[in-house]
Amino acid sequence: MNIKHKIDDLRMGRLSRRDFNKSLSALGISMVMTPMLGKSASADAADQATYFTWGGYDVPEMFGSYIEQHGETPNFATFGGSEEALTKIRAGYVVDVAHPCNQAIPRWVATGLFQTVDTSKLSNWEDVVPELYNLEGNMADGSPYMVPFDWGQTSITYRTDLVDLEGQEESWGLLWDEQHKGRMGMIASAGDSWWCAAIYAGVDFTTMASDESFKKVAEALRQQRPLIRTYTDDMTTLEQALASGELVAAMTWNSSPVVLKGEGVPVKFANPKEGALTWVCGAMIHKDAPHIDRAHDVIDAMLSVDTGKWLIGENGYGHSNAKSFAQFTDDELTALGLSSTPSDILSAGKFQIPQTQEFETAMNQEFENIKAGF
Amino acid sequence: MGLSDSTAIAGTVPESRRSLAARLRVIFMRSESLRGYALLSPTLIVMLLGMCLPFALMVAMSFWTQRGFDIDISFSLTNYGSAISSPIYEALLMRSLAISGTCAIVTVLLSYPMAYYVAFHVHRRKMLWIILMTLPFWTSYLLRIFAWKIVLGWNGVINSGLKSLGIIDQPLEFLLYSPTAVVITLVHAWAAFAILPIYVSLEKIDRSLLEAAADLGDGPVQRFLRVTLPLSLPGVIAAMLLIFVPTVGDYVTPALVGGPDGIMIANMIQAQFGKVNNWPMGATLAIVMMIVLTIIAVVYIWLTRKLAEWIS
Repeated sequence: MNIKHKIDDLRMGRLSRRDFNKSLSALGISMVMTPMLGKSASADAADQATYFTWGGYDVPEMFGSYIEQHGETPNFATFGGSEEALTKIRAGYVVDVAHPCNQAIPRWVATGLFQTVDTSKLSNWEDVVPELYNLEGNMADGSPYMVPFDWGQTSITYRTDLVDLEGQEESWGLLWDEQHKGRMGMIASAGDSWWCAAIYAGVDFTTMASDESFKKVAEALRQQRPLIRTYTDDMTTLEQALASGELVAAMTWNSSPVVLKGEGVPVKFANPKEGALTWVCGAMIHKDAPHIDRAHDVIDAMLSVDTGKWLIGENGYGHSNAKSFAQFTDDELTALGLSSTPSDILSAGKFQIPQTQEFETAMNQEFENIKAGF
Repeated sequence: MGLSDSTAIAGTVPESRRSLAARLRVIFMRSESLRGYALLSPTLIVMLLGMCLPFALMVAMSFWTQRGFDIDISFSLTNYGSAISSPIYEALLMRSLAISGTCAIVTVLLSYPMAYYVAFHVHRRKMLWIILMTLPFWTSYLLRIFAWKIVLGWNGVINSGLKSLGIIDQPLEFLLYSPTAVVITLVHAWAAFAILPIYVSLEKIDRSLLEAAADLGDGPVQRFLRVTLPLSLPGVIAAMLLIFVPTVGDYVTPALVGGPDGIMIANMIQAQFGKVNNWPMGATLAIVMMIVLTIIAVVYIWLTRKLAEWIS
């Protein structure tokens, strides 16, 4: 029983009293049964690899082959932003597999807390698109630290019925438009927002770390702040606010418009003229991973075509396995803002450039200050 | 050691051991403070390991500085310098104090009549009434916050209700993602902490005092102001402090319902330990917050003492 979905259903009024009671009784029964079933169930859970990931990736659909092999999903732990995840891991939290993004790789590797992945243990490695793993700081002696899994874009999801572009091209300026004051949402993590503001402010990513760029981006975000209703890392919050009309536009990833369109909400994922922010995320293995073989099985399951089909079809993200795209027609892919040749999209978008830890700290501190009104 | 060795040779081990144990026993039983510490020891150990050591570490950390991934552990006052000089921390702290202060006052004002009613006008099943009133406290904290999100939301219960009554055309936006939302949510969450102490102090009031006041010509209002209210003040004062102190450090509620303008100091502290990755600064802010709270609490207690003297 997926609690989060149930709560969503309840909020949207899709859950009848009868259904609700059914869920409650199921919960009650499982709680009563837990001590009885406990022994075998908890022994299994302890043996599973732990996967530390973004909220929303903690679902069985992603781990078909892992479940076939080991009977259960991996154990999940979730985070709202990859900086938060790194802080927790550095503080001593040992996981088997974690899920950072390209811009974080050199800093994650520099902590010395991760090991390269043995690609000979991955049956799907041959099909992985090379552009996605030949990233700055990722390869060591032909083995990757991060095995790419999902890629996509950070852009604006807007209500086509509530936002009138007046014939103009889609632009990041939409999120700075005074017309929609108090009706726009932003991602609370600087990893997305800072970089998107840099695109809006016309800052070249290669000069990101300079003082001048830093001030320019901070200025843009400060100017935007009075227009923003909420900053959140919870995509469900943004999606629900867009669905109700509380927000007319919000910074999101690819999956939000797909989810909303599925619910019949008239939204579009903008393709800003300045370019959307493009990212690649993937799996890294902890150097002290307690379940090293199962960690590789987790990654292999993530690379499988079945998982890719789910990731592309249900979430609108790109997958790292080239074969996954063969499951869809070109029209379907274009509608999702993807392409059967991922390099097209990747080269068109703005790719984040890894930065130093000092920059990350300064950026996050400044963005916290801006969000708080300073 | 020497004692037990020599007695072992003499072959009187059990006896002498008993005498040693007996002597220790006597010392133990005679010393009242030793017995006190022994009784306290489980709590003391937990306090030492769970409170004092982490606190000492935090104090130490607040004098360190973060450099990239590493922490420079040489003594420095940089963090305190920036905590005092940057206006943001002061503003966030002031906002937190204002929100918690409002919250404490509103909670007490709302809880007093409820406690009063149960103490004076309910005669059967008082416990049931108390349980029902403190019921919100029995549900998960997170669940309560999400419930308030639904009630206060843009198309939530209040807004859609007012809209269908034709009172408003546009949803009231200040309800959610604002300091108001934080105050409302906290008041509801902490009501139990006001109702219970106020109820207890009201319940203790000797009813004959009220009769005496009535006999001497006081009306209901005067009787309340001159007898009931002063006698229930200990409960009110305790309730205010009980609510004020913990809510200043709350970060879950502002994060979920506060919006950009409802962020509190604890959210900044949490960010320092999380995404900003500057633990020493986080420790400094936490200590500054504690010091300010301690000062406020001490002044508050001193003021209420003066007030009590002035009344009596």
